[in-house]
Formats: sequence, structure tokens, C-alpha cells
Amino acid sequence: MTDITQTATLAPGGGRTMERVRLLLRSRSGLVGLIIVVLLGVLSLLSAFGLLPYDPIAQDPPARLQPPSAEHWFGTDQFGRDVFSRVAAGVANSALISLVAVAFATLVGTFCGLVAGFYRGVSDGVISGVTNVLFAFPPLLLALSLASVFDRNWFTIAVAIAIVYVPIFIRVTRGPVLSLREIEYVKAATSTGQSRSMVMFRHVLPNIASIIIVQVTLSLSWAVLTEASLSFLGLGTPPPAPSLGSMIFEARTLIGIAPWTMIAPGAVVVLLVVGLNLLGDGLRDALDPRNRGKK
Amino acid sequence: MNGGNRGVRGALAAVGLAAAVALTITGCSPAKPAPTDEGTAGGALVIGVTSDPDTLFPWKATQFQAVNVLQNLYGTLTEFDADLNVVPGLAESWEASEDGLTVTFTLREGVTFADGSTFGSEDVKFSLEAIQAEATAAVSRTSLASVAAIEAPDEQTVVLTLTAPDAALPANLAVINMAMLSSDDTEAELNTTPNGTGPFVLEDRKASQSLTLAKNDAYWGDAAKLDTVEFRVIPDESSIVSAMQSGNVQLAVFDDPLVAQTAESGTVTVEKTPQLSYHALQLNARRGDLADVNVRLAIQCAVDRQEVLDTAALGEGEVTGPITSPAYRSDPDARPCPERDLDQAAEYLDKAGKSDGVTIKTIVSQGEYATSVNEAQNLKAQLAEANITLELEVLESGAFVDRWIAADFDAAVALNGGRPDPDGMYGRYFTSTGNLNQVAGYSSPELDALFAEGKQSSDPDERKDIYAQISENLEDNAAWVWLFTSYSYTAASSEVQGFTPMANGSLQYLRTTTVN
Amino acid sequence: MLRRILAALATLLGVAVFVFIMLRAIPGNQITAGLGTEAAALTPAQQQQLEAYYGLDQPLIVQFFSWLGNVFTGNLGFSARAQQSVLELTAQSLPVTIELAIFSIVLALLIGIPLGMLSASRPDSPRDAFGQVVGLAGLSIPAFLLATTLLAVLASSFGFNPNGEGYAYLVDDPWLNLQQMLLPSIVLGFGIAAPIMRTTRTAVLEIRSNDFIRTAKAKGVPPRRLQAKHVLGNALVPIVTMTGLQFGYLLGGAVVVEQIFSLPGIGRQVLLGIQQKEYALVQSTVLIIALSFVIVNLLTDVLYRMIDPRVRAA
Repeated sequence: MTDITQTATLAPGGGRTMERVRLLLRSRSGLVGLIIVVLLGVLSLLSAFGLLPYDPIAQDPPARLQPPSAEHWFGTDQFGRDVFSRVAAGVANSALISLVAVAFATLVGTFCGLVAGFYRGVSDGVISGVTNVLFAFPPLLLALSLASVFDRNWFTIAVAIAIVYVPIFIRVTRGPVLSLREIEYVKAATSTGQSRSMVMFRHVLPNIASIIIVQVTLSLSWAVLTEASLSFLGLGTPPPAPSLGSMIFEARTLIGIAPWTMIAPGAVVVLLVVGLNLLGDGLRDALDPRNRGKK
Repeated sequence: MNGGNRGVRGALAAVGLAAAVALTITGCSPAKPAPTDEGTAGGALVIGVTSDPDTLFPWKATQFQAVNVLQNLYGTLTEFDADLNVVPGLAESWEASEDGLTVTFTLREGVTFADGSTFGSEDVKFSLEAIQAEATAAVSRTSLASVAAIEAPDEQTVVLTLTAPDAALPANLAVINMAMLSSDDTEAELNTTPNGTGPFVLEDRKASQSLTLAKNDAYWGDAAKLDTVEFRVIPDESSIVSAMQSGNVQLAVFDDPLVAQTAESGTVTVEKTPQLSYHALQLNARRGDLADVNVRLAIQCAVDRQEVLDTAALGEGEVTGPITSPAYRSDPDARPCPERDLDQAAEYLDKAGKSDGVTIKTIVSQGEYATSVNEAQNLKAQLAEANITLELEVLESGAFVDRWIAADFDAAVALNGGRPDPDGMYGRYFTSTGNLNQVAGYSSPELDALFAEGKQSSDPDERKDIYAQISENLEDNAAWVWLFTSYSYTAASSEVQGFTPMANGSLQYLRTTTVN
Repeated sequence: MLRRILAALATLLGVAVFVFIMLRAIPGNQITAGLGTEAAALTPAQQQQLEAYYGLDQPLIVQFFSWLGNVFTGNLGFSARAQQSVLELTAQSLPVTIELAIFSIVLALLIGIPLGMLSASRPDSPRDAFGQVVGLAGLSIPAFLLATTLLAVLASSFGFNPNGEGYAYLVDDPWLNLQQMLLPSIVLGFGIAAPIMRTTRTAVLEIRSNDFIRTAKAKGVPPRRLQAKHVLGNALVPIVTMTGLQFGYLLGGAVVVEQIFSLPGIGRQVLLGIQQKEYALVQSTVLIIALSFVIVNLLTDVLYRMIDPRVRAA
């Protein structure tokens, strides 16, 4: 995170989206990351539209623990459920949880960071205070406690994870905003009589967009791992809905007799996180103006 | 877990329990010299467990692990043998008067507590009276409901005066919540320094890491053969399996057949033991549509229990009726619709005037025992075909317990503990005055009468007959939908011998166990 | 500095309030956590007796301030389950966590910094790709997956499983203790090596492009010395920041890794406390974790001031 904060750029934002996409595609890691993420995205879309070979939660006891075959590409689990279908549905669930969590964290975190950094004063004191409190709390324990407070479903888990990530976004946003408000043209905009909130959203927000976008991709991959760790501690997505984390957790007892039940979701988690990370790297390169024109 | 919902304990504490290997007492490996002579036996046994006892005070212990440890430290007036028959413990013998209203216990002589003091009738009087006192908050208080007075005429004699005959009393006295404590001890002292009459004494405890027992040389029965038994806390079941494979741990008991399967390897054998605890769909006959017996019978008829067992628990278990103890076991075929019968179910729904179907709000706990949510899913799928909608609420164990205690559910998917004596097992649930009757959600004058009769009769055959009637009554009224019992899996390395696992999960045969 | 300490105290107070409220929001209490569904059989009198015993009969506000007051007098509470005071328990578990954190960080630095420098030494070359892949692997493999796999494979194939022994404290049996720390440190260290590697790489690349390095090069400073002294020296700032941050997190207890490798650290202490609803235990332990996090942050700051020439000058 620190290095991201340091790459905070103060160049005025603008609609150079196409150029950025081109830069992203030119960076090798960004391209690979994009491909992986898109592939897994397609997989989860298949599950969302019910286009999987099997119902991911339908049990078929006679066909349990079958090794991978033409019929069951990734084999079956202890209830005869098709591992491929479950992995696909698991990607969808994990992606959904991570997306909602990170979206929530981004919205709340960025807004609070903006307000705190731009207006300073009491709002800054309160927001920074809360951020410090949340930061001092061990993250997994925070998520764990939050996950046990509510009735458990995918949404409350997403919210629990989001609360863990809100302070990160606040901190990542607040720093650059602090320096931005001292920049000449922002001061100029303020003095020309534009309302403060207008200046904040018009001139300050676009300038920190690149930092936030990078933070979003990194947080997505962390959220996937956090959801998996929560599942390990028994507080993840409630079964039978498949999530990658709970699949790995359940498969731990099977690793000796049916390794495919672990390898498939394990590999996909790793792939998903790698993809998101690479995409984050690529985006960082593409959005960092110091890299522009280089290479 | 004495009759309570056995699955539901501390949130994430897994189910890997302590325990045992299934070679019988006589079964010795031919390759090694049989350690039949007490003098040559000995050794240190390490048992892998996922959690620490949450209390060392026997009257309040309900956690499985606590019960298992305390059973080896404390003594009770009566005990169970391997087949769950009641046998003498600290009481050498007991006799009921003709009218059944007084029971006289003759205590064993020469029994001492771990601190060296002598066990006598005043300790029994003290213990039983303290258990009866509400202020003690002892969990087995109601087992002594029929006891009006406790007398200790001499050092070796205790006389109980009853308000009504109580045939279940000897079995009720055999559980560890009825442990005999020294009249000099207090709860605060015993929490740190157990002082019992059992075959082992506490040697060392490192909270949440390990608890070590050493053999009690002054034990009144045959002295334990092991020098020490260590319960080593390894929170993750897979890690227990690893520790067994690397030879660090010699014994472990698992609930999950898959874990047991992975544990089985070259030197580790796994034995499965049928358990008294049972899986059931508890119905709350005092709420909504379920108040109509026909709706309950429709549910009963729409469930294929074998399918629930197969899909949720890999077929590892046996379909069961209400009573699970071997001596009184209910016939699972003696129920309305022993086979799934959707036509019959539809007929019952018609009779109830609910041919459009009913919706039942069902609570399910997650994370406590492996099969709960899978059972619920399968039940939901099966009942949907009979136009009965189970609305599942999957709850954190803490939330589940809160709702269960408050009887705030239409139906509950539960794993309840069983007891050797059927009165102890169901009297508390299905008599109108039972302390769990609110949760059970069903009682009737007929059942009250039958339970009273069962308590009064001391003739074993007559009792069997009475409890068969109770079982039938429960099934005919579909008080609950009983599903199946499962196994516990005792994994032991080859050097462990002489341990007998029991259907109530007890580790009492650690005292006959040896490690070569 | 005084302002920072005051802010830290405010943060700790916030943590105290937050953890207190959150614990009460989790369904269940110490009675139901202890007795399970057997609690349904309690008579009202028994229920009252137990509530008084656990102090649950007091109003919440009284519970909060009596706990906080006790904390100030050094009484962190008592765990009925362990039959020990929270202070004693923490005195046992905190050193385990600190030891694990130190080993993991050292390992992470040993892997991360050289790897980062290797990657940065020739960007976009095969060696850069190698470094990046290792870094990505560290970031992407869930710790519990790596931990269980390592443990299962080593135990079943090689019979190597020091963690299957009871936990040995460093002072009691250093050799066994070090063995027991090995696998968990590897798992955690590998994960943390990734951000350190990436931070190192970025920092080195950035500094290399700076003018003073070019000047030094032009002046004929030998490349090896240049690398060691100027580049790494200046890259140290972000690395220290990142290390401090990660160390702070590790002190919160690596719950999952402690769980798998049976380490009686502080994370497990909190987890058990949450399971058993031992409120005072969880509150005090979380407060201690937050305190150590705050202290590590302050120390990082001090260190940062010492090594960063720009901050020093300012």
C-alpha cells in the first residue's frame, strides 16, 4: 500500500481512457491478468446463467469421489457433486462477495478519505480516529467477529469484509487529497467561487482515481483470500452454496483419497488472485504518468 | 451432552474428540508380549483432541471433552459397563424397598479421594443435596427430582427416600454430572485441583494446550495400567491426523467418517462404534400448522430416512426410531410410513385441510457437526415433493442455541445426545413437567402416564414393553421425525491395546488400556 | 510526539468500546456457550445464579467501566475456562506470537529483499519474471492451503511433525521450539515476502532513476558498492514502512496458522475467547494486540525518521 501512496500523482485527470487501455494491454502483466480475469469471469457468468454441466449443489451419492473423467472434468466430491460446476459457481460466489465487499469499501472509504483530507477539521478528526481504531484491530479477527454477529449469508460476509477494507481506502485516499488541496489550480478553482464540494468531486476526485483503481484490484484479490480464510474458520459462505474457500476447507480431509477435490478449487483461487494482481500491476503501470512515454 | 443437543457447543470447536481403539480387552497383538500383568504394563498414552475441557467441575460439565476427562478423575455411585448396563461403582450394592419408596445404597469400603481423605456416606449426602440445590446450578438436578430425603445412618450406608418409585435412578446416578465430591471441597477449589475417586488423578494442565492424567495408585478397583494419559490439544482435525501419522499421537476419536478414512494407514486402525446420539428433525407441535397431527404425519411420511443418511452422512449410520440405547432400541420399521409414501403424505395433508401445502420455518446450526446443513438440504428437497416447504435458517451455533432454548422455531435440524436409560433420555423432553418439554413441543396425558409407569416398574421386561409403547406413541403422533444415528470413529496406532470405545462416547476404558 | 501518544490513547479507547459492543452483538453468552442446549434445562433461579457468577446481571455500562477500571489497575480479567488470569494467559501466548512474528519477518526479509533487488537489477528480463512469479505465488496461495499441505505431506511421507509434540516454549526446550516454529514461519514468511519483494523492486527501480545515483555512477563508484550503499540505503525507507506494517499485523495473531500448527499464540487466545464468550478475555486481549500494533507503528516511525535523510533534514 505504501508504495502506492507514494506513486500518488498530481497530474490533472482527463478522458484519456483509450490511451490507458492501450497502455494496459501493452504491459505484459496487465494483458495476462486481464485474460485470466476475463476467463474466470466468463466461467462465473456461465454459472450465473445456469449453463454449467451439472447443478453445483445437486447430490448424487452413487457417483461420489470419482476422479476426473470426460463426464466430470474435475471429478466429483464426497456427495457426488460435480467439482467443475462447483468451482465455476464458487468463482461466481467468491467474485460476487469480493466485488460487493470492495465496491462498498471503495465507496465508503473513498468518500470518507476525500472528506477527511479535503475539509480537514472535525470530520478529519472523527474519520481518522475511526480509521485508526479499525486498523489497530486484527483484520481476520475483525471479519470473524463481524461475520458471527449477523445471520450468515453471502451479503453479510461481504459487508464484514468491506468493513475491514474501508480504513485502507480512507488512508489511501486521504494522503493524496491532503497534498492536492494545496495545489495551485485547486486553490484557484476554490477561489473562483465554485462550491467546495464541487471542487472536491470535479477536481480532486479525478486526480486520485488512478490510485483508487489500483487499490481496487489489489483489494479484490485480498478479499478473495479473506473469504477463503473465513471459510477455513467455519465462518464463510454457508453450505451448500459453493465458495472457493469452503471447497478447499472441506477438501482438506479428502486430500489423501481424492486430491482433485482440493487441487481444482485451490488452483482456481491461486489463478484468480494472480490474475487480479497482475491486472493491478498492469493498471498501475498504465495509470502512472511517470511510466507514460517510457518504454 | 447428557441428553442435550450434542452438536451444539462452542462455536468453532470442532468435533474431533478424544478416544479409543477398538481392540477388546482380550485382544492383544500376537507379536508383542501381552501386558496382562499389571506390574509390567505402563507407558504414556497421547490422545489428540481438538479442544480443552471448558470446566473441571463435574456437576456443570456438559462439553464432550470435559466429560471425557472428568470421567477418569471422578467416581459415581453406579457405573455403566461396556454394554451400558448399570453396574456397581462407589456403591457396592443397592436395594429398593417393597413399595419402591426407599433405596438403600451400601458403599464400597476403603475408597479414598485423590487428596487421601476417605470417601464415606456423608460425602454422598453432601453431593446429592448440593446437586439438588438450585443455587449450585448443577445440570443433573432434575434427575434427583423424585428424591425427597437423603440419610446417612452409618459410614457405609446411604438411604434415599423417594416421593415415587424411580426405576431410572440407578442409571441416572451413573453419569459424571452425578460425581461424588468430598464434603470438604468447594467448586472454586475443584476448578483448579480436581479431587475425585477415579482411576486417574490430574497431573498437569496447560490451558488450551494439554492436560495430563497420572494413574491413581489408591484407586479402589484394578489400578490403571497406563502411567500417564495426555490429552493434547490440536485444534485442527487434519492436524490430528498428521500427528497420528508421524507417531506423536496414538489415539483420537473422530465424528467425521472422511477424517477417519484419511487417518487409516499402515500403523493406524480405525474402529467405528454406533452412538446413542441421534439426528432428528424436531417439530414444534405447539406452533402453527404443526399443531395438527396430520401435518406432522405428512412430514413423517414424506421423508426417506435412508436417503437423508446417504446424502448427508455418506450412508455412515443407521436409520433409527426414538430410543437408541441397545437394550430398549426402537424398531425403526414400527412407524407410520416406514417407507417413504408420498400418496399417504398427500392424504394426511388433505385431512389437515392443507392440500395447498404448508411452510415450516426450520433452524439449522452450521459448523457444529458436519452433516447438519446437508441433512437440512436433503430434507428440504424431499419435502418439497410433498408440497411441504422447509424454510431453512442457517444459524451460527450461538444463535442456534439461543433460538433452540427459547423454542423459537417450527422445526429444528438437531443432533441430540442419547442416554442408556430411556427415561433419562426422553422423560425430560416429552412429559408435561419435563424441563425440556417447552423445547420438545409435544406432550400428552398418555405419554405422562406411560413415563410414570416406566419409572415405577423395576421389572426389565415390563419396562421394555412400556418404552416400546412410548416409542410407538411418539412415532404415531409424529412428535418429531427421527432420522438416524451415526458412528464415532476411534483411530489408534498399533501399540495401543485394551481400549473399548462406548456408545455414549465415554473414555472410561482408558483404565484398561496399555501402550507398548 | 506527545500528540501522537494522545492520539494512540484515543485509538485504544476506541478499540475498547468497539470490541465491547461487538462482543455483545454476537448471539449467545458465556452460559449458553458453556452449557450448549443444556442451558434450556436451567430453572430461573439457576439462570440467575449463573448470570451473577459471570457478572452478566450488571447493566452494560457498568460492565464496561468496571472492566476498563480493572484494566487500569492491571487486572485484565479471569478466564473461567483456563482457570487463569488473562494477564497470565497473555504472558504465555504473547511471546509465542512475537517469536513467530520475528521469525516470519526475518524470513520474509531474507527472501523478499534479495528477490526484489534481483528483479530490479534487470527489469523485464527472465530474472525479473522469476522474482515476480515467486512474489505472486506468495501473494496468491492462501496460507491455510500451504500450511495444511506442508504439514500433511511432511508428516505422512517423512514422519516430520514437530508440531505434533506438545508446544515447547523457547526457554524450556529451544531446539524443539525452533523446529516447531519452522513450518509456520515459512508459511507466513513466504506470504509476507511478496509485498516486501514488490516494495523493494519498486523502490530500487525508482531510486535508480534518480539523479544522484546517475551522478555517483558517473563519478565511478563501483556498481556493487553503489547497489549496496546508495540504492539499498535509500530504498530502505519504504521497506521499513512495509515491514513495520506487516509486523504489526502479525502481532494480531496469525489465527489460521496458529490453529493448523497448534501454536498457543495470541490469535488462538482471542478465537477461543470468542467461542466461549469470555468477554473480559477477548476485550483485554484485543486491547493488548491494539496496543502492540500502536507501539510497533510508533517505533516504525522513529526508525523511519532515523534512516530517511529527507525526514531527518526536515
